[in-house]
Amino acid sequence: MNTTLSAILLLSVPGYPLLLAFPALRSRSPWPCHIALLPAVILLAVPAAFSVDLPWLLFGSGLAVGERSRWLLAMAVVLWAAAATLLRAPANQPESNHLTTFFLLTLAGSLGAILATDLVGFFTFSTLMGYGFYGLLVNGGEMAAQRAGRVYLALLILADLALFEALLIVAAVTDDLSFGAAHQAVAPSASLNLYLSMVLIGFALKAGIWPLHFWLLPAFRSARPAAALLLGGVPIATGLLGAVRWLPLGEISSPGLGLALQWLGVGAMLHAIVAGRMQGQLKMLPAYAAIFATGLFITALGAGLADSAAGSRYGDLAHLFIVSLGFGLAVLTVGIGWLAARSPDAIAPAKRAGDPAPWFERWPGAAVRWGAQMGSDTLPRLRGSWLAAAGRLWQIRAWQSALDGGERSLQRWAFAITLLLLLGVAVAFIGALS
Amino acid sequence: MPWLHWGVIAIVLPLAGAMSCFLWPRRAIPLGLVTALGIVACVAGLGWQLVEQGAQRYVVGGWGAPLGIDLYADGLSLLMLMATAAVGLGVSIYSIGYFNREKARYFWPLWMFLWAALNALFLSADIFNLYVTLELLGLAAVALVALAGGAEALTGAMRYLLVSLLGSLFYLLGVALLYHSSGSVDIAILAARVESSPAVWAAVGLISAGLLLKTALFPLHFWLPSTHASAPAPVSALLSALVVKASFYILLRLWLEIFPPTSAVLGQLLALLGAAAVLWGGLQALRQTRLKMLIAYSTVAQLGYLFLAFPLASITGWTGALYMLLSHAVAKTAIFMAVGNILYFGGHDRIADLDRVVQRLPLTVTAFALAGASIMGLPPSGGFIAKWLLLEAAIRSGQWWWGGILILGGLLSAAWVFKVVGYAFTRSRAPHESRAVPVGMEWSALAMSMVAILLGLFASWPLALMEIGLPFGGKGAE
Amino acid sequence: MSWDTGMPLLVLASSLLPGLVIFFLPEERVVTRTTLNLAGATLKLALVGVMIWGVLYGHHYETRLPILPGLDLVLRADPLSILFVALSSILWLVTTVYAIGYLEGSPNRSRFFGFFSLCVTATVGVALAGNLITFLLFYELLTLVTYPLIVHRGTEVARRAGRTYLFYTIAGGTLLLLGTVWLYTLAGSLDFTARGFLSGLDGAHHTALVIIFVLLIGGLGVKAALIPLHGWLPQAMVAPAPVSALLHAVAVVKAGAFGIMRVVYDVYGIQFAATLGVTLPLAIVAAVTIIYGSMRALFQDDLKRRLAFSTVSQVAYIVLGIAIVGPVATIGGLVHLVHQGVMKITLFFCAGNLAETLGIHKVSEMNGVGRRMPWTMAAFTIGTFGMIGAPPLAGFISKWYLGVGALDGGQGWVVFILAGSSLLNAGYFLPILYAAWFKAPPDSWPAERSFGRRETAWALLAPPVVTALLTLAAGLLASAPFSPLQWAHFITTLEYAL
Repeated sequence: MNTTLSAILLLSVPGYPLLLAFPALRSRSPWPCHIALLPAVILLAVPAAFSVDLPWLLFGSGLAVGERSRWLLAMAVVLWAAAATLLRAPANQPESNHLTTFFLLTLAGSLGAILATDLVGFFTFSTLMGYGFYGLLVNGGEMAAQRAGRVYLALLILADLALFEALLIVAAVTDDLSFGAAHQAVAPSASLNLYLSMVLIGFALKAGIWPLHFWLLPAFRSARPAAALLLGGVPIATGLLGAVRWLPLGEISSPGLGLALQWLGVGAMLHAIVAGRMQGQLKMLPAYAAIFATGLFITALGAGLADSAAGSRYGDLAHLFIVSLGFGLAVLTVGIGWLAARSPDAIAPAKRAGDPAPWFERWPGAAVRWGAQMGSDTLPRLRGSWLAAAGRLWQIRAWQSALDGGERSLQRWAFAITLLLLLGVAVAFIGALS
Repeated sequence: MPWLHWGVIAIVLPLAGAMSCFLWPRRAIPLGLVTALGIVACVAGLGWQLVEQGAQRYVVGGWGAPLGIDLYADGLSLLMLMATAAVGLGVSIYSIGYFNREKARYFWPLWMFLWAALNALFLSADIFNLYVTLELLGLAAVALVALAGGAEALTGAMRYLLVSLLGSLFYLLGVALLYHSSGSVDIAILAARVESSPAVWAAVGLISAGLLLKTALFPLHFWLPSTHASAPAPVSALLSALVVKASFYILLRLWLEIFPPTSAVLGQLLALLGAAAVLWGGLQALRQTRLKMLIAYSTVAQLGYLFLAFPLASITGWTGALYMLLSHAVAKTAIFMAVGNILYFGGHDRIADLDRVVQRLPLTVTAFALAGASIMGLPPSGGFIAKWLLLEAAIRSGQWWWGGILILGGLLSAAWVFKVVGYAFTRSRAPHESRAVPVGMEWSALAMSMVAILLGLFASWPLALMEIGLPFGGKGAE
Repeated sequence: MSWDTGMPLLVLASSLLPGLVIFFLPEERVVTRTTLNLAGATLKLALVGVMIWGVLYGHHYETRLPILPGLDLVLRADPLSILFVALSSILWLVTTVYAIGYLEGSPNRSRFFGFFSLCVTATVGVALAGNLITFLLFYELLTLVTYPLIVHRGTEVARRAGRTYLFYTIAGGTLLLLGTVWLYTLAGSLDFTARGFLSGLDGAHHTALVIIFVLLIGGLGVKAALIPLHGWLPQAMVAPAPVSALLHAVAVVKAGAFGIMRVVYDVYGIQFAATLGVTLPLAIVAAVTIIYGSMRALFQDDLKRRLAFSTVSQVAYIVLGIAIVGPVATIGGLVHLVHQGVMKITLFFCAGNLAETLGIHKVSEMNGVGRRMPWTMAAFTIGTFGMIGAPPLAGFISKWYLGVGALDGGQGWVVFILAGSSLLNAGYFLPILYAAWFKAPPDSWPAERSFGRRETAWALLAPPVVTALLTLAAGLLASAPFSPLQWAHFITTLEYAL
């Protein structure tokens, strides 16, 4: 297929939803959320694998579709289409415009992340997706949704910081940031472990992997149906995809880290089983299923990191895993929702809404309030006291009277003439001495 | 000798102008203007002459020194003449609108007379002639101060007269001692003959004391603020810009030519007094509530700068001090003109009650701000060039503390300039009536301040002119 | 006078002459004044374009006027000056359009626009200065002509803010003068030379050179709002929004940062400065400023003050980039000069829109404003995300280079500073966005002005949208030729002789 056409097609997969995200540009088109998927569908229909290079974009990036990303794309298209349909279910009228915008932004980010061929491109699209998803969570929701959104946002920011750090480590050793080149550059570098940790922390936060899964439960609890459907396929799947793409599996072997990951993964699975059993709400089942599945993923990842041969042989399976994870969670969520519609008493009543905010929300808020109370001037009390002191100094009678008195005494004739004579004598004396 | 016309004409023309203004008071204004322009042309001619042929000496009446009167023009005198011409032209144009018919018939003759005295002073080549011209200058200035009428002006004039006479008296005593010890009053001859002796040192002491009183150096500055504040605005401008500088010129000339090689201590003493003047004048200026007093104290401070060059004893230092003199003359004239406008406009000059003058008199406030920039030493202005040169000289000679005084003085000036400008933007507490200011007054203020700024951009030309005849190449130089 | 010698003067004249003419226009001549303004701005942009073209083809634009015996006034277009001049010209055009819309119907517009043009003239003079004394001249001139803009409204608050401003800037100018004169007596020349001209001086002078460096940076740091010399900036927010936008994105603050660049690269030379040991303290001061500015911003409720402290923090990024020895960090500092200008001006334009259209001055009044003014808030959102450093916006590019440069230069601690600052930025910017987009609007705005079906006047809406698009373009197209990033690469190769 000729290059321009393929370039246009690839660019329009994330680009078209971005364009449609502007309310002004989609006012005339019906079913914008569905049409936005059109380029992706076309792309799926074309059997070949192609890519486009965009050296002028950011630091040089590109988009590509290959065997593995095709499956992911397919999953994404199906999930998003289903979510778009659910979105048209009775939603609050005034918010629908904003909701659609956030939907499309998240869609663009998610599709772009699948197609990205380099670290920065992936980072950009996943950030877009994250902020868009925040909007989806929060928009028009009640207190619980707002809080879930805040937690998600805070973790998103921390994750972005960690990933930025990882990017810096790679950029310090190479100019070419495409996945393959980056893996090869960072593998022999001295900061490899730092890179691995940063990547894992970042994507663990984004994907809600235990034990950094703080946003997962509140989100599942409070998301609207469309967003709940997407929870598996969008943030979690993108996070896992990121981990797979960014980690140089097959190139390195880090047994310590690999072992730790395996333990964490096992821990996650156990936690999912135990806690899931204990909490008893059917609605939360998909959440614990997610924790379980991601735990499994981490175990496998750990194994792959520990032994590079295993990593290179089985690395491809990760993509299939992600696809099935996405589908599975979606089906589970839809199923639970359908069950709820049929028999409301199968679902336990909603969790207490009067939960106190978590500690990492309370403390910054208190700090900001304290700072605002301190006043809005530079070191107000200090400067205030200085100014007052300076003002008092200036006011002090002593200065004023010294200056005034000086002038007055100088103006008395006797004084003036005396000074005159003294000056003359002084000059003569000094000159004579030299 | 063709040049004689310029120098002599520069003295005779204003005398003639004074006479004619006295005889035909109705035509005083056009006569005055024509004379002013004529003098400017003379100075230009003299300048051209000096550039072509170097320093010039003219023997009046063909009787040479030591008996006769010589006129001598070098770069230093040329600079003073140029300053006088520039300021004089500006003041002349300004005074057209300022004085009413009654006052104008006295102002113009006196002003021309003053100008003649100044020109003669700057061209004098012997110390007795300097005394004569100095006295004439003082008398004319006193008369001009009294012009405003009223008790305050008369008291100020009286005090000024007494001070002036006292200073001249001391100077005359010094001249007498020098004549007695060396047998001549001609500067060039004295430069060759004078040697260190008690008589000479007594003379130096007396001359310095007298001249310092007339130049209003701290602590002998007591008479200046009240005198300058009570005079009419153009007269204040003349006093601050030119009259006090005349005695400074004499002191400088004698220091460079006649005074025996001095130790650093004397120069340090003068600079110390100058530094005290800078600080005292600056602080006093900040305390004033009336514009004219504030500007007068600023003059006290600026005069202190001039004396900072004495211990530096380098050409850069001298040229810096003289450039400071030149730009201060121009800038102070502009400021007094601006203050005169404000006084004319509102009937008062209280700083806190300026009542959005910036909207009603935009040209005046601009003139004030630009001239203030020169006084502060902000680029681009003549004051900045002068400050740069003095700082450079101070740092090069290792006496960086004088540089510190310069900096402090600049900051103090900045404080009062911007205090006034700030009040120009705000409303006053009580409204009052205003009358329109004649266009000529506003534009002449603005033009003078523009000259002050241009002095900052085209400095190399005056600086080169100053060095004609190597006035700083004699005693007291590097 | 040939084209090459006259071009810098022409660029200066293209804003000086319209400014002087505007002073004398009566208030009612709106069309004349607007035409003069826009014509001057467009002409300047065209001339700058010609200069860029010329520089790329090897033309040497330089004007020399003797000012003192042995010193000349030099205006020269070298790559670093082109960077700043281009930024100033583009942003001046945009701000002029904005100011015309903002001040519609206000008194004293002729005076305002006159000083406005003079302000840009002084900025361009700072940019084109070819030696330290020319720089000093235009730097002080900038102080003089921005003062009337700050006290424009004539209230007591404005007068006091102006007084504070002068207090700081005149003191700074004095330090700069002292440093310059001293340097002149030591070095005998003040011309800006790539890689500096001081490395040849005798070792005995090194202490003096360090003191001079402190003096120069102190004088420049006042305008660049480094701790603890930043006190004037939040107070100067009392000025009208176009003034805040111009001053804080383009003219005054950038002049200070640009001056620091000149001193470190073209007077001392980065390698020599490193040998003197002055770069690390400078980096530390910059780092403290970054964190302090962000923290103070967190506590402000007034929108413009919050943005002011954000400026304090962001300009310190530039200084940090300068202070880290290494080409990559230099690129980061240089490119952030441009990027921060574009992003900050967007934010100030939006703040001005909110104040002008709805009477909103505080963040707590901004609930739901995204519904009422979507385009403005969209531009604000882009600016905010740029400040936080989210890809693919301009701020991401600068932070990237600063971070990589820090790692390259062996100053790993800087990455923590960058991370902390990003967190703080998110902390004080994201709540604004949240309130604007997600909270319910109040029943009535503090002081609403209706513009019919549009959200606000065209002249107020177009500039922030344009600069937001520029932010996006500067980030997305960073690797395209002629992006600010590529120009920064070019300048760095000259400085490091790569």
